[in-house]
Amino acid sequence: MAVVSFSLKDLGIEGAAELAEKIGLDVESVEGDTLSIDVPPNRPDLLDFFGLRRSMLYYSGKRVPADSDYAVSAPAETSITVTKNVEKIRPFISSFVAKKVNMSEQHLKYLINFTEKLSETYGRKRKKMAMGLHNYDAVKGPLVYDASDVGKFIPLGSSQAMSFGEIIKSHPKGIAFGNTIESGKNRALYPYLKDSEKIMSLIPIINSKATAIGKSTENILVDVTGTSEKTVNSTASLLAASFIDQGAEIHPVEIKYEKRSLMQPDMAYREVKVNLSKIDGTLGMRLIENLLITYANRLGHPASKYGNSLLVKVPPYRLDVFNYQDIIEDIAIGFGYENISPTPVHSTAIGLFNELQEYINKLAVFMIGVGYTEAVNNYLTNQDVAFKQMRLPEDANVVKITYSKTENITMLRNSILPSLLLTLGRSTHEKMPQRLFEIGSVFSVEDDKAAERVNLSFVSEHSRSNFADAKGVLDSMFGFLGIKYSLREEKNPSFIEGRCAGIYSEGKHIGTIGEVHPEVLNNFKIAEPVAACEVNLIGEVSYFKE
Amino acid sequence: MHEYQFKILEFLKDRGESSVDEIVEATGIALDAARWAIETLAEQKAIEVSKEREKILSLTEEGKGYVNEMPEETFVKQLAKHGTAKLSEIKDSIGLMWAKRNGWINIENGVAKLTAEGVRHSKSAEYPLRQVLERLDSSSADDEYVGKHEGEIVLLEKRNLVKVSERSSMGAVRITSAGKRMLEEGTNEEGINQLTKEMLLSGSWKNKKFKSYNINAPTEEVYAARLHPMREFNNHLRSLWVSMGFTEVSGPIIESAFWDFDALFSPQDHPTREMQDTFFLSNPNEISVEDLPLLKRVKKMHLSSWGDVWREEVAKQALLRTHSTSVSAHYIYKFSKLLSEEYPVKLFSLGKVFRNESVDYKHLAELTQYDGIIIGDKLSFSNLVDTLRRFYDLLGFDTNPRNKKFKFKPSYFPFVEPGLEALYYDEEKQDWIELVGGGIIRKEITKALGTKKTVLAWGGGVERLLFHFMNLDSLTTLYKNEVQWLRKRPKIDI
Repeated sequence: MAVVSFSLKDLGIEGAAELAEKIGLDVESVEGDTLSIDVPPNRPDLLDFFGLRRSMLYYSGKRVPADSDYAVSAPAETSITVTKNVEKIRPFISSFVAKKVNMSEQHLKYLINFTEKLSETYGRKRKKMAMGLHNYDAVKGPLVYDASDVGKFIPLGSSQAMSFGEIIKSHPKGIAFGNTIESGKNRALYPYLKDSEKIMSLIPIINSKATAIGKSTENILVDVTGTSEKTVNSTASLLAASFIDQGAEIHPVEIKYEKRSLMQPDMAYREVKVNLSKIDGTLGMRLIENLLITYANRLGHPASKYGNSLLVKVPPYRLDVFNYQDIIEDIAIGFGYENISPTPVHSTAIGLFNELQEYINKLAVFMIGVGYTEAVNNYLTNQDVAFKQMRLPEDANVVKITYSKTENITMLRNSILPSLLLTLGRSTHEKMPQRLFEIGSVFSVEDDKAAERVNLSFVSEHSRSNFADAKGVLDSMFGFLGIKYSLREEKNPSFIEGRCAGIYSEGKHIGTIGEVHPEVLNNFKIAEPVAACEVNLIGEVSYFKE
Repeated sequence: MHEYQFKILEFLKDRGESSVDEIVEATGIALDAARWAIETLAEQKAIEVSKEREKILSLTEEGKGYVNEMPEETFVKQLAKHGTAKLSEIKDSIGLMWAKRNGWINIENGVAKLTAEGVRHSKSAEYPLRQVLERLDSSSADDEYVGKHEGEIVLLEKRNLVKVSERSSMGAVRITSAGKRMLEEGTNEEGINQLTKEMLLSGSWKNKKFKSYNINAPTEEVYAARLHPMREFNNHLRSLWVSMGFTEVSGPIIESAFWDFDALFSPQDHPTREMQDTFFLSNPNEISVEDLPLLKRVKKMHLSSWGDVWREEVAKQALLRTHSTSVSAHYIYKFSKLLSEEYPVKLFSLGKVFRNESVDYKHLAELTQYDGIIIGDKLSFSNLVDTLRRFYDLLGFDTNPRNKKFKFKPSYFPFVEPGLEALYYDEEKQDWIELVGGGIIRKEITKALGTKKTVLAWGGGVERLLFHFMNLDSLTTLYKNEVQWLRKRPKIDI
């Protein structure tokens, strides 16, 4: 998602915020003259001031779409030859020339913002796709898209000529986007664009000063490069549509790859046929046939009836339309979600609770009955809490997180008790006794596979808390559950020696009970003795089995 | 005379003068009850109490959220990652403002840059302001501490992170001659105090008077053991879905990218699939998809829809699920293999989901989500609208279209088309708040998962709802488990 802001005055459309909502955008805020909207990733055309304005004009019916709205206006203007050198690093390029551009300063700002947002989101931070704008009057065609380890020119934002390597190392844009260029085995290959005389751009880093655009620039050459041809070509269509809305003429550029050549941009309207009964069936409503065209028009699609179908022409800037499903959504939006009437699902299905959840619920109610209050802690934790503070050696077989934005998140818990001790440590000033329990999942890795188990842990803190305290609860709980168990003395660094036992059932070690070691209490800043227990309830949870 | 008053006077008779703490310690009367007894005795002039004033410092909710890191620290840490930032693109205005005031950044031509001091703080330097927050969060501050840190405290109070309130407390307590007289008279008072088993058996109570109690005397506070509000609320949601004929299912939180993303039409280079947003695992670092025909179909779906490349290694990455829609995907697939099922099949799940967030009072890395699906023939968008409307109506939202408190709007999720979002109007915030997102699962997905049926699907956040029903002001409150909160929290308004 990307948030963009536009001036309401520039948009010049009444009820712009309401229209944005109807189209499916989240209005972040309307402050004074500024409208801020959140654009979903499937609609890069709406990151553009002109794209948004156009969609509002269509929706409000102030403009009716025709398949001639966005078209190129002349034969090829120039050509770009693509050399073999870029094949392995950044193989694709698209381009066009926009003539008779008459941009205000504000429009220029919108254009720059649009290209930046576009390469950030749709272009995946310039790696997949990036764009450059050049003053076409300063370009001497034909052009070549090539790659080399050497090259020198005066980049924007500098007064001196810099080599490709210098730009990557010391130019702000080079520092920011140098990572988009993958270095080869022996030397770095830098993609660049040149005309018949000079280097125009180090791609996708920075353009040359020689072809810089300004607000008086009338003719602009646009280049789009990247690693996906589909993305590169569709971005060119997107930008061309924006220039057309500004009143410019679009002149194509021929792209000459080694074995083929093509004209860019492709401004053809794609035809999608949607069966009328499919529309009604999907939406669950009988829409009035004659109005379907109006609904499609509201989303910018020229449309006509074609037998039992609706023939929709998808404009070249609509990159999100895969097939009929997307058209049906557009028709629903055109119809208005508020007008969709609810229809009940006919079903005699009987709802059932998950058995494990119900088992846990019964146990939770039992624990409440013996005076323990329930805590719910996060699964995410760290080695310091799970092992060090517990006086335990680090266990390598825990589920580990590769990278976390929050410092103290490194793993999934393998035991509940540390979380409960943390909780007690936070409430030392509260009235004693403090008795807490938690039932939840714990995780480990066995044979390179993650395993999830369900444990119960409880703690009792007060001035006379002891082993018998905990044992009484355990005994009563296992009686309730009908589980036979035995205790065997156990050495566990988290507990006081001689006051700790392993819990066994059917010969298996299923838990530990005891008085928590004073050093552990200190580690968790707990001021009074704690008796604790943790026991496994469900051996290993398995999902999707019959 | 009340028993407590009697005990206190008796204690003071020998001591002459004492403090409240000593009285509590010696008599075993709870603090609140002792205060009450002392106050009432003072009114009767049986004792004299000197008053002391005391400053109480406490953290506000916002302050609590900054105990680990203050916004200006977060800000410089972020800035250190990017080097510079344009003012127009900075959203965190609080962090920016304080970083500037502290001289941690310079602003030139609308671009913020770290100073040497800022660089130091971006690497977790000691920061007196935060240290005061930490101290106040873990224990109370005595006069000496307050004196030493006055500057910081004044600033924190201005920033509304610390609340300073005054409390008058009881100082020395002294018995008077009137008090001594009361004690003598009280000792001679006749009557039964505690009714005993012996009295009942012997009947000795019959001709005696019962001493009367002061019914307004405070009693020891009683705390009920309680369920955590998340369980209470989750159970409520579960029972609503079951009452609507949905069966509860569940799935793993440790997932492959395949089930969390690929099977749900999310392209492999989608930004949410980066480490910045999702918790990937280093142990285990991959989870293979054993069903090869399924793997092939999903691969085909990606190649024909997104063009580009699709790599099995990427689909195998192990992660913590980012939504419980992965559970729905598993079940669509599971039901595609069952022949004799009666349709429509209605399922829901409720469980944890994970987002790689910087945790603070508004953001959690771990959240709870409920997901629902209906699998069947001839299911439509208007069926989905009806199902969701019924659910939120049961939950207590005013879904009557005429009242305009609940609405649907178009929304985008990669795995549904058409997609929608339901929102309710929050009177307090005067804004529309998102409840749930949903839609009809794309045909590309159902086909890859092996079914020709239509699937309606939706998912929403639980904490967000609980926030609404409990009127919370910080998300972290829910999982901090402060004993006082667990004991005294208000009931959920459902």
